[in-house]
Amino acid sequence: MTKYAPDTDFERIFNPGKTAIIGASSKGIGFGSGMFFALQAIGYQGEIFLVNPKGGTLAGHKIYESIAQIPKTFDLAIIAVTAAAVPRALEACREKGAAAAEILSSGFKELGTDEGLALEAQIREIAARGIRVIGPNCFGIYCPQSGLTMLPGADLSRTTGPVAVSSQSGGMAVDFANTGKSMGLAFSKVVSFGNGADLRETELLAYFGRDTQTRVINMYIEGVADGDVFFDTLKNVARSKPVIVLKGGLSAAGSRAVLSHTASMGGSRTIWRAILKQANAVQVSDMGEMARASLAFARLPARTYKNLCVLGGGGALGVGAADAAEKHNMQIPPFDPGLAERVEELLPRPGSSGRNPVDVANPYVAPEVLEQVMCLAAEDRRIDLQVLITLFHHYKNLAAMTGKPVREVTPFAELAERVENTVQKTGKPVVVILNNPKRGTDHLDVVEMMEQARRAFAERGIPAFDDLAEALEAISHVNAYYGGKAHE
Amino acid sequence: MNKQTAAKIVDRARQQGRSALSEYESKQVLAAYGIPVTREILVEDSGGLDAAIGEIGFPLVMKGCSADLAHKTEKNLIRVDLRSREEAARAFEEIRGQVTGAGGGVLVQEMVAGRRELVAGMTRDPQFGPCVMFGLGGIFTEILEDIAFRKAPLEKTDALAMMREIKGHRILGAVRGMEAADTDMLADLLIRVGQIGTDIDAVTEIDINPVIICDGRPKAVDALIALG
Repeated sequence: MTKYAPDTDFERIFNPGKTAIIGASSKGIGFGSGMFFALQAIGYQGEIFLVNPKGGTLAGHKIYESIAQIPKTFDLAIIAVTAAAVPRALEACREKGAAAAEILSSGFKELGTDEGLALEAQIREIAARGIRVIGPNCFGIYCPQSGLTMLPGADLSRTTGPVAVSSQSGGMAVDFANTGKSMGLAFSKVVSFGNGADLRETELLAYFGRDTQTRVINMYIEGVADGDVFFDTLKNVARSKPVIVLKGGLSAAGSRAVLSHTASMGGSRTIWRAILKQANAVQVSDMGEMARASLAFARLPARTYKNLCVLGGGGALGVGAADAAEKHNMQIPPFDPGLAERVEELLPRPGSSGRNPVDVANPYVAPEVLEQVMCLAAEDRRIDLQVLITLFHHYKNLAAMTGKPVREVTPFAELAERVENTVQKTGKPVVVILNNPKRGTDHLDVVEMMEQARRAFAERGIPAFDDLAEALEAISHVNAYYGGKAHE
Repeated sequence: MNKQTAAKIVDRARQQGRSALSEYESKQVLAAYGIPVTREILVEDSGGLDAAIGEIGFPLVMKGCSADLAHKTEKNLIRVDLRSREEAARAFEEIRGQVTGAGGGVLVQEMVAGRRELVAGMTRDPQFGPCVMFGLGGIFTEILEDIAFRKAPLEKTDALAMMREIKGHRILGAVRGMEAADTDMLADLLIRVGQIGTDIDAVTEIDINPVIICDGRPKAVDALIALG
């Protein structure tokens, strides 16, 4: 049974005023000194105490020879000493009154050796006496508000946002934090808990459920400590916030010898899928899908979206959009002829189509016109969301003709503003697709411009995806969640 | 609901060192939990046959029944649509000789009219405990694997969601002149299957296959309970 510790002071863990780094060496770059530089680079504003038995200084900072020598108490310890030295260090931090310790060191349960198991058992015993442990074998905590960061995470964002992540895998946590930053997603808290000797998925889930900064919760899970408690917590939290789950290590069949068809068909993959559905959690199959789903949940108003208006260009637009929509149980209803005609009057002819999907025919249609088109399209009462497929990569041709850089001739900044206006006027969200077939080394200028465009949309709260099918998949997760809530 | 009755049947089988209940015992456990099962009588020797036939009535079904018989169809131990005493007596002789094992006999069973075969079941997941299955039954269970699972205990919304989840969910509606299945009764059945799992730890697996929809109502026609 998972220990329930309602009195854990998460505020001291995520926003520590004082942090001690145990195992910060003055020579070479180890985990401890790496963490010290990362905290300085990201701008952690709390007080930092460094500890190493050899003493000395690190970048002008005094290194204490023992934890006991630290003149004050501290909130959080970051422990990066060899595995065998961890229990003593942890006990010393507990005696100092630290609320928690993140243990970056490896060499515990993950080795499967008697020694590793015994050391991890010692960690659990010390934790039970009054200090919460994150890890061991983890990358730690990233919290933009306090400037606490993971390793390696010196360049993560300091912008606080609605997305929380807990991950059994450190690499996954750091990758997600970086991916999110690239997409314009901002985080409340990201926790890599590694072996999860003490604080792990279920308690973090319950905390994220209560945390007022967090609106969207992501979990990368390999295993859970207690299936029943996890399920109850998940179901409870998912009633108020979307919980997106990536479950690693699923097998199709159970390995047990069984008599019944029920048992032979109820392998771990099937049961996990059922559990997540039953709790109305959102199941995804990889990290990219998870990040995109988070973007959709973070940026779209809380409801379902069934009827889309799709605007774009290119021959396969109609078929591609219709197929993607159908796959995800959404429609692109054709406009009535009157509305289609009014839309077409705004667009260049020939080649355009004002039905739905709307084919704008020309990549250089002015943002102002696109705004007018989207405002008209939104008059169709059935439409609850618009998808604008941008054609920015075509501006490379315009750049060549005019001799100007592509980032200067592409009107992404104005379009971002126009899209924001459209959303405000119509009350219907717009999702932008930054479709870009030009990604090679001879198109680095286009790639750069696209990323600037992404930032322009992100700054105005407009969700931007690379691909229509991926966007609709993300929206379908939003639909599944809010649709599932309606059945409760 | 009579949990004690069910627990007693399970305990007795376990004391005999068995890893499964017979169909007859399995259905007694289901019935103790209020799950509708076929009317049936276990006949151990030919002396009891006439009384059983009189009780059940024609047409009827006969099945070889013992704890050792998990898969009766493959062993050719089922006779259906028996319409006379002569047919019944012949079937009894053919089956009885092949049935071995504890609690063995021939199950004389009502023949349930209904073309829609569903499956319900329970498995014990190592991480999440008892989980209930629902899906298309009969031979389609294994071929199509059109099934849904939920962790027990089930709420009614869970049971209804399982019915919506299977691809063949339209089979539960009013199709081809058949009346719509009573989804409330079906939900109740699934909830109770889950209850057996949460109440009796020794029950490791349940298969109810088929559950036949007869006049809109579900009835357990064959059942297997595995013990651990």
